Amino acid sequence: MPRVRRSRKPPPDGWELIEPTLDELDQKMREAETESHDGMRKVESLWPIFKIHHQKSRYIFDLFYRRKAISRELYDYCLKENIADKNLIAKWKKQGYENLCCLRCIQARDTNFGTNCICRVPKDKLEAGKVVECVHCGCRGCSG
Amino acid sequence: MATSLGANRYNRQNWEESDFPILCQTCLGDNPYIRMTKEKFGKECKICDRPFTVFRWCPGARMRFKKTEVCQTCAKLKNICQTCLLDLEYGLPIQTRDFALGLQNQDIPRSDVNKEYYTQNMEREIANTDGTVAVGSVGKAQAPSDILVRMARTTPYYKRNRPHICSFWVKGECKRGEECPYRHEKPTDPDDPLSDQNIKDRYYGINDPVADKLLRRANESIDQEAVKPPEDRTISTLYIGGLGEAIDEDDLRNHFYQFGEIRSINVVGKQNCAFVQFTKRSEAEHAAQKSAGRLLLKGKRLVVRWGKSQQSGRKDGGDKGESSKGQQFDPVPGLPGALPMPSAVGSGPGHYYGNQQQKNYLEPPPPGTVPMPGQDGGVMGVAPPTIAPPVMMMPPGYPGPAPNMPVHYPSQNPHRMGS
Repeated sequence: MPRVRRSRKPPPDGWELIEPTLDELDQKMREAETESHDGMRKVESLWPIFKIHHQKSRYIFDLFYRRKAISRELYDYCLKENIADKNLIAKWKKQGYENLCCLRCIQARDTNFGTNCICRVPKDKLEAGKVVECVHCGCRGCSG
Repeated sequence: MATSLGANRYNRQNWEESDFPILCQTCLGDNPYIRMTKEKFGKECKICDRPFTVFRWCPGARMRFKKTEVCQTCAKLKNICQTCLLDLEYGLPIQTRDFALGLQNQDIPRSDVNKEYYTQNMEREIANTDGTVAVGSVGKAQAPSDILVRMARTTPYYKRNRPHICSFWVKGECKRGEECPYRHEKPTDPDDPLSDQNIKDRYYGINDPVADKLLRRANESIDQEAVKPPEDRTISTLYIGGLGEAIDEDDLRNHFYQFGEIRSINVVGKQNCAFVQFTKRSEAEHAAQKSAGRLLLKGKRLVVRWGKSQQSGRKDGGDKGESSKGQQFDPVPGLPGALPMPSAVGSGPGHYYGNQQQKNYLEPPPPGTVPMPGQDGGVMGVAPPTIAPPVMMMPPGYPGPAPNMPVHYPSQNPHRMGS
């Protein structure tokens, strides 16, 4: 997350177009951080953080790859300044990972049986009518 | 209390390390492919307080994760499942099992040091055996009593593995809704003694409400099942209920031939029951006495009762019959006349008894009766009201057809409506 801008270099062209949205997401993130955890489950408290992080990276990713609305320079600048998560975006370019919710959900080493998160299981492979909500980020299914 | 692993001096215990848990079929679940996690020294044994290897697994879809609760030494001492603490062989609580086997309540020490010493001795004893026989008094008492067989669980009871009831939902504040992995169901009455169990009492076999309930029920069923032979001396038929698909006529014959000559066996597949008729009344009495409440065929527990003659069934249903007398069925005109009696009733082993069976009718079937061998005991309305062959029996509680019901045509029979 880009808290302090260290580089003296001014942001590339088009920055002023995306800045308001990014500020808004920053604001939302700050709210999510300060919100109280009362009545939440332990795992639930981090879910909004993961969600906003995902949104912000998704915003930059869509602008560059889908809508082609920003320049290469600006995109690289956002990655370099850690405004978007470049590791997450790298996954999104892979087939089957287009909707990946967070990197924790594909970290197989963190699980007992070396498996991915339940949210990575395609809906039709799950038993019918089962509602999932993964413990890592609260994702309800990010595959297929 | 558990000392460090390195402390292995005299009178200090070894910590348990195992490769496989001791579990019952129910706790393992219905899936033959289970993934288990193993955690060395993961928890204290809930009985002896020593660290042991904890196994954790999910016993099937929509079940809660289960883990081992007591160490293997404690489990082997009582021959129980490490998780549910029920007997491995009979699936019964320890208190019930010990009572049925006639075991005295063993005095397992409860204080720290004594317990340590006792476990240590027991471990030595276990190490000396080959592991095929239960250790301690359980292994020595190998005389399965009637009551034990009657109470024993024959099939796994997977409902026990269901998730617990959601405590938030009970309070009305569960926010997880559909995603909630716990059960959203009304809890049982908290005043019910069954809701107050604890693992130590269950292990030591004292104050176990489940065991009390089982014993009470077993005693009640003995009283009930001291089935009195009916007054009617002509009845020599036993009703066998709860057959299922696995048990056929041969299985019944194999069991009942020991009591005397069997005149006929009618298996009513639709109602999962059968009627075994003996040639002599005394044989039937003997069979009822020996089998009632303890008949176990192919792992299924069967109900044995006396058959009722159709007449007595009619007396029972007499009141109902009076009221429904108004709606009598008109005889169907133009029905074909009497069919000739078949030479043999049914097929298979019954064939040999066919002729004899007809001779044994107290009254020969009058002309006009159309015997329907497959439906004996099932649909009885097909017989004309003038005569009911006494060999036809019906299960107790079966509402016999109303009297004076001149049903001539199967489709007129209200019992068959919609079937």
